Amino acid sequence: MAKYECTTCNYVYDENVGIPNSGIPAGTKWSDLPADWTCPVCGSPKSMFRLVMEKDQPVMAAKSAVISATKKAVMPFQEDGVAVPAGYGTDDLRKLTNAEVAALCSSLAKGCEKQYLTDEQALFLKLSAYYQSKVVPISEATHAKLLELINKSLAEDFSDAKLAAESEKDRGALRVLTWSSKVTEILQGLIQRYDDKGAALFEHTNVYVCDICGFIYIGDEPPAICPVCKVPSLKLIKVERK
Amino acid sequence: MYAYRTIRLCTKDCLCLYVCPTGATDTESGQVDFTKCIGCGMCVKSCPNHALSLVPEQFPVQQLHHKDVCDTMFALAKDKSEAEAICHALAAEAKDPIERQFMTAFEMSFRRQAEDLYRECGYMLPQSANARQLLTLMLENNDSAFPLEAAEQLLAKLQVQSK
Repeated sequence: MAKYECTTCNYVYDENVGIPNSGIPAGTKWSDLPADWTCPVCGSPKSMFRLVMEKDQPVMAAKSAVISATKKAVMPFQEDGVAVPAGYGTDDLRKLTNAEVAALCSSLAKGCEKQYLTDEQALFLKLSAYYQSKVVPISEATHAKLLELINKSLAEDFSDAKLAAESEKDRGALRVLTWSSKVTEILQGLIQRYDDKGAALFEHTNVYVCDICGFIYIGDEPPAICPVCKVPSLKLIKVERK
Repeated sequence: MYAYRTIRLCTKDCLCLYVCPTGATDTESGQVDFTKCIGCGMCVKSCPNHALSLVPEQFPVQQLHHKDVCDTMFALAKDKSEAEAICHALAAEAKDPIERQFMTAFEMSFRRQAEDLYRECGYMLPQSANARQLLTLMLENNDSAFPLEAAEQLLAKLQVQSK
């Protein structure tokens, strides 16, 4: 009998114990759980679980991927771009789209909020709203396009960023990359389930978004803490159905 | 340093009021009067519910991130920003309320992720050199709709970090 641990929230499924309250009797093998079974705590799909070894082993082996040269280059100029400091402490600039600057400004607004600078928070939000208003709406958006972008992001951009952060031992970057990759994998699973089963799957549930890390919870009541970043549930924002 | 009350945690034990040498915690707003607070920390030590904390007036210089880290994190934040735009369009076009709710949640999630990524590639503190330079560059925006006064006020209000 084996145990499987959710890599998102650390919930452990024990084959010996099962989940009798949910109709999964003790002794139910991992392989006999339905393919669309999800973590009872955070809703992650089966693919996010790993076998718990006797002597614990690291989840992922070291990645051997190399950051491609193209990724190292500063982003090309864009017509609607805004030049911003590149971030690493020199005079270098990089071009961002209006949408990116909107998020950068709302991030700085959060930085002000953390320091109780409410006036400054409102001013950064005003700047964010301006750049948001300049974003050209996307035409022909589809779930497939979204999924393609998520897949590309997980396959390429996350591994590049993790490699850079690991080689620089950048704890802050590793922190956000851990949270964001977990959330992205959860979103990937959610959109696949949604497309397979249809909107009806979510008819009788609530939807919450973690205001800190972006984790999405589907269920009646949010968990006491966010399973990804562990913030208390007061930061899990309910998304109304309108 | 000055004291700040996390109002959510305050259970009105009022020991802060008892220990404060200047009466800075004695306010109707529920918040500490920063003009009276001398940053002695007595209220922080006395509060049984940990509702008070000392906030630095000036933060130390932001930790530097390597160029490779910044470049790859910005590239990732770009993905998030693109995904947010797709979800925004899907939510706007949705006829089914569940689809709209679902895509709104996704849109919010991608924004939260982008914001969090920016925090760790040079934009943690609004007082940092990066943020100041960003605001200074924004002043060159000559679009009449641009809220120039917001950028100017931020530059005036946010204290410069010591080098």
